[in-house]
Amino acid sequence: MNIFYDAATKVQSQSIIDWKAAGKPVVGYTCSYTPAEIFYAADILPVRLRGIETEGMEVGDTYFGPFICSFPKCILQLAGKGKFDFLDGAIITPGCDGMRRLDECWRKAGEDFQGIVPGYFYYFDVPHKAENHGMAWYIDEIRLLIKSIEDHFKVNVTDKKLTAAIKEFNKGRRLLKELEDLRSGDDVVVSGTEAFAATVAGTVMPRDEYTAELKKWISSLKKKKKSLSEDKKRLMVVGSVSDEIDLFQLIENTGKAIVVAENLCFGIRYEGNEVKEDGDPVEALAQHYLGSSVCPRMYGKYKERVNTLKERIDYSKVDGVVMQNIRFCDLHGAENALFARDLDKIGIPSLRVEREYGPHIDAGRMKLRINAFLEQISGKQQMKKTAERKAAVSA
Amino acid sequence: MKIVAGCDVGSLTSKAVIMRDGKIIGASIIRSKPRPKDSADAALESALKDAGISKDDIGYIIGTGYGRDKIGFVDEVVSEITCHGKGARWLLPSVETVIDIGGQDCKTVKIDADGQVVKFTANDKCASGTGRFLEVMAKVLGISVDDLGKLSLKAKSPITLASTCTVWAQADVIKYINSGVSIEDIGAGINTAMAARVAILVNSLKPKGDILMTGGVAKNVGVVSTLEKLLGVKIKKARKADPQIAGAIGAALLSLEKVNGKKS
Repeated sequence: MNIFYDAATKVQSQSIIDWKAAGKPVVGYTCSYTPAEIFYAADILPVRLRGIETEGMEVGDTYFGPFICSFPKCILQLAGKGKFDFLDGAIITPGCDGMRRLDECWRKAGEDFQGIVPGYFYYFDVPHKAENHGMAWYIDEIRLLIKSIEDHFKVNVTDKKLTAAIKEFNKGRRLLKELEDLRSGDDVVVSGTEAFAATVAGTVMPRDEYTAELKKWISSLKKKKKSLSEDKKRLMVVGSVSDEIDLFQLIENTGKAIVVAENLCFGIRYEGNEVKEDGDPVEALAQHYLGSSVCPRMYGKYKERVNTLKERIDYSKVDGVVMQNIRFCDLHGAENALFARDLDKIGIPSLRVEREYGPHIDAGRMKLRINAFLEQISGKQQMKKTAERKAAVSA
Repeated sequence: MKIVAGCDVGSLTSKAVIMRDGKIIGASIIRSKPRPKDSADAALESALKDAGISKDDIGYIIGTGYGRDKIGFVDEVVSEITCHGKGARWLLPSVETVIDIGGQDCKTVKIDADGQVVKFTANDKCASGTGRFLEVMAKVLGISVDDLGKLSLKAKSPITLASTCTVWAQADVIKYINSGVSIEDIGAGINTAMAARVAILVNSLKPKGDILMTGGVAKNVGVVSTLEKLLGVKIKKARKADPQIAGAIGAALLSLEKVNGKKS
């Protein structure tokens, strides 16, 4: 587990250091719509860019201004402080408008802070619709990205290599599905914190190493008997981008809750949803990455998303949903309000909370809300039991 | 005879309530000290003195408030949202919606017949709409927070604050003072801005039934009357006890349930 924890809690983890030591390039990317398989096929380490380890916000605030999500600001802050100097390249994607602006803000900051813009800096466009022309456009974008990587890094990304990459990534996807099955049982043997760390690690570790470690870890989990979910409320965490292990720790350290599921950009959203291993690999990647409605950035997919959420709540036996959104995150802020309304209709309690991304300066505030939410769920369940008892007596 | 207590350590004030058989026999409100533990000790000591008993007489104590985890003497901690719900129900049995405005938090809580929280919402990480906002403004005006509320009653043409951000509103208030606007009109404007901010939060929860305000700001007539206008409903007054100690009352009631063997 330590290898996952190390990868999930450090910007430059040991596996990145080892990869660089072997003289191989590392490319950062900002969004789950970037097919990481392409980099694997080019023997480049794809690393999801994150904002952990941020200690101030002077660089981020200077170029972004105050009224924007703190996640891209933290990434820029780290870049400005030289924490991403190990990157050979960066891919910026319009996951949302805040993320899109990272492209110009990073380049502008690079004029003032020498050497913070990686030698390869690429804007990868992603459409907001997955139908027909949207899909055709996205396929074009993937081909352009491949061409650009081939030219810059002097590599050759063949279909054969891409298919091999897809097969390797699918192994991980299947393993994460097994992990989700374990978390959905009556007696959960793995904490949400551990599971989330393992998922986040998957976005920064070399894939072969990750798949092997994940396999080992999951088989060790399967032998575990001790239930961590006994007498605890089973929570699900959804909302804005989060790779913060301490958010999960904060919830589980109450001693009254276990996180059994999440729907987060860094969390598990793809499990069981494999990429097709036959046919044109670029089209298969496009169908998977753009075709899956995993993010509220996509137009017209709300119904699908709320249904996925409901299925998940059912499958993982969720008692309550924590809906967090980073300030100024319009996408998740708006969607959380709709989710809360629709879950309320089916009797699933939810907690909506707005917060800042980053080192947990918000801990006290979050803790109060989580505790009150857990007490609310307990009260609700207690009432239900009492009503059932009364009904049984009168029957 | 069962004696229980609740201790609510807030960011501005700390409160303790001692109950015997469900009746308040001692209570205290003190200014919070830098360390929550010291605040809790002082609040309890003062309440014990009020009740004329010693700490050993108390069967169970529940702590709440932002400093709840740092209180040394409690048997258990419960969030202030749950405690305010419970306390409000005791203060006014018909209440269904509680608006609690404390020093750094503003919460709206919907409760059921048992005082159990059904739904709640709380302010963002911002001082606007909290007791701290009023305190900062009172300081700028050179008056006490208690007097600030009464200014609304004497105002002729209240000012409008351009922003409810505590820092910007403060700059606005200074500007009005310097341009010779009466203190009553400025004070009324501050209370209105505060009420408007709170009204947004309250409305987001779709309040229903009788509404009760708890926390220190419940004693500010200016805020309460403007809030009534904005919400279009009458806000009930707590007559059984000071609304500022509602959280501590709730904690004491939960202690009593514990002693009686009921699940808290």
